[in-house]
Amino acid sequence: MKRRGRGIACMWYPIGFTVDANASAATVKVNEDGTATVLTGTVETGQGSLTVLGQIAAEALGIATDDVHVVSADTDTTPMDTGAIASRTTYVTGNAIWLAAEAAKAILFETAAPMLGVKTSQLEAKDRKIQVKNYPQRAVTIGEVAHRSQVVLGQPAIGSASWNPPTVAMDPETGQGKPFATYVYATQIAEVDVDDETGEVEILRIAAAHDCGTAINPMLVEGQVEGGISMGVGMALQEEMLFDANGRHINPNLTNYIMPTSLDMPEIAVDIVQGFDPTGPFGAKGVGEPTAVPTSAAILNAIHDAVGVRVTSLPATAEKVLTAIKAKRAAERKQIPA
Amino acid sequence: MNEHSRVLERDELEIAELRSPDVDLRLPAVVPREPFPIEPLTVDARQQTRAVGQRATRPDGRLHGLGQTKYIDDLSFPGMLYARIKRAGIASARIKHIDTSAAETMPGVMAVLIGKEIPTNSFGPTFQDQPVLADPIVRHAGDGVAAVAAVTEQIANEALAKIVVEYEPLPAVLDPVAAMREDSPQVHAPNSNIYATKVVRKGNIEKGFAESDRIFEARFSTQMIEHVSLEPHAAIADWDANGRLTIWATIGRITLARSDIARTLKLPMSRIRIIGTIVGGNFGGKNEISQEPTLALLSKKTGRPVKGVFTRGEEFIATTTRHPIIMDYKTGVSNKGRILARQIRLVLDGGAYCSWSATTLGKACILSPGPYKIDNVLAEAFVVYTNKTMTGAMRGFGAPQVCFAYESQMDDIAKALGIDPLEIRLLNAFDEGSSSPTGQVLHSVVIKESLRKAADRFGWEPRS
Repeated sequence: MKRRGRGIACMWYPIGFTVDANASAATVKVNEDGTATVLTGTVETGQGSLTVLGQIAAEALGIATDDVHVVSADTDTTPMDTGAIASRTTYVTGNAIWLAAEAAKAILFETAAPMLGVKTSQLEAKDRKIQVKNYPQRAVTIGEVAHRSQVVLGQPAIGSASWNPPTVAMDPETGQGKPFATYVYATQIAEVDVDDETGEVEILRIAAAHDCGTAINPMLVEGQVEGGISMGVGMALQEEMLFDANGRHINPNLTNYIMPTSLDMPEIAVDIVQGFDPTGPFGAKGVGEPTAVPTSAAILNAIHDAVGVRVTSLPATAEKVLTAIKAKRAAERKQIPA
Repeated sequence: MNEHSRVLERDELEIAELRSPDVDLRLPAVVPREPFPIEPLTVDARQQTRAVGQRATRPDGRLHGLGQTKYIDDLSFPGMLYARIKRAGIASARIKHIDTSAAETMPGVMAVLIGKEIPTNSFGPTFQDQPVLADPIVRHAGDGVAAVAAVTEQIANEALAKIVVEYEPLPAVLDPVAAMREDSPQVHAPNSNIYATKVVRKGNIEKGFAESDRIFEARFSTQMIEHVSLEPHAAIADWDANGRLTIWATIGRITLARSDIARTLKLPMSRIRIIGTIVGGNFGGKNEISQEPTLALLSKKTGRPVKGVFTRGEEFIATTTRHPIIMDYKTGVSNKGRILARQIRLVLDGGAYCSWSATTLGKACILSPGPYKIDNVLAEAFVVYTNKTMTGAMRGFGAPQVCFAYESQMDDIAKALGIDPLEIRLLNAFDEGSSSPTGQVLHSVVIKESLRKAADRFGWEPRS
């Protein structure tokens, strides 16, 4: 019969490289009409990073996401970037773009201050305008300022910057040090049905609460969490590369290497935990990798809760779960006094 | 025709028609009110200022949705050739001889390449221990031994079959624990198979265990996993007549790729251009170069652009994978459920080449105690060479493996002590300002908030 169980798992995960420098550089160019172009050497690998990076530039310049075009991934035209790895794009590349946008904005403020008759320190960029703080009635559009900067003053609003997360090398003997600038945290809880006749596990639902500092784009965070969980499901129950005794891979195809499909996916409820990291762009950290971290642990704990067996090697295939159930039954039978 | 006139017409309908089993039978006696004109209360997320926090859609989403995104395999250049790489098919061997003559004379075959022709035949993000094409030692069955560029992919495939490689088989080691023994065959002779180690030591582990009421010990292990991105590794190389090399590649790190390609080809970086195309899934699998130098040299030989797209089989045998890890956990706790000491030993199966193993080793080791306040920690980690597909970066860098171990044991401890699994985590979890196992003071720590939020959403109730 099917037995239901629940399992919880939490985790921590760092953003960026372990100690090693992993810098990003960026250039932000404000066009004469107040739109902007961002140059970054990172690569869009399907996660939506260019959208998030555009949002960061837009926020810094007080314009809309659609006003920003992000040019990426060309070693001839874009500045260096450590790339789409280590959940670092939003945090590290994001900080570089934020700083580059601030540098471009400083040029705009220099142009705008005499136009508005105030000091640069009194200005803010908001709603596609440069306006006086706490007196927004006195404002001029960013397009007008950018045009004046470039065409009248000959000082185009272009900013470049780089950023690298601050770390402290680890002691080789004790490992003591500050290997990462920041970490994110998450919890996932899974509910499963385990068929104790066949060992088959069905994952019914997963509640996932992830910290990413400020969610620059909550929809993309949710997408990452759902995608990460699908990888965690595969790791927990199905996926395994197998080799023969001579070291030849015996299942190098998707017929025999079993991956979860949409039909294997549970219901997922994603919560974004409120957080703000002062070292990240607008308080953001990252979310890419951690989403796949606690899933298999939560599922395996749920299997344990359902049928009382602890599977200690992944994946928990039906065969493995059934073997463990049978072993448990056999052990329990032996304990009954004659 | 508006709603009102439609109702008037209904009066003239036949009774039988009105009584048909139709939703219209539920029509109210009065004419439905015209709805208010619906206007969106907010503008599109992409149009809003502020931008941060908006659920902005992706600018590339439309093209993806319409199937119009151009991946490498959708790109084509005049005169472009297709490359295929011959895989060793043997886990450990010395190449005695490669005969490419039959392949070279095939109509349609434009060039053949072997390892000897590569200017610097080694690369790797940490250790440069991986050959572009094996020469003379084969260290895993997926190692490339020769490559062909032909006018069609079919001819390239046929040519691969005509390349004859003579091997002297060498002893192979497949089990990471066996590979740690001194008498084990050495994957990279004369070097030890243990190619990187990491240790994190905090407090006094012996004292911690001595003060513990209960000690839990368990061994956990995980499997080798492939990223299985929808788009396989793919690239096009064009070595032009000016001696400038342009590579379109599905790769997540173009800056690193350019320096690795400059090194393997002994070419100044200013003469190399890497264009990262839209990547159809990375997950860590596309964080280093693979076939790019091979394609570049085939392009140089032929004077034509050369495309290479891995088969699904090559994705499994010839690209990086997730580390299998054997994890020994020993944890001392008080009767109230506080973790007082935790000792961990990790053995990572590093496969035939280092790739991102040193990074995975470090992260796995640092994260292995879990997100908990533990005063006494000893975590040791080893990564060893085996004659299997290389392991490297994959979403989480060792963290999903150690999380499986520390969270499984956490539940075992909770059960043995009769504490709710949520409670024991809240009891031990980091707080703002907690000291990590490496002594780092942690900031913006919200693990307890995440535990409570997930529990609320799930409807977690303690069981008596």
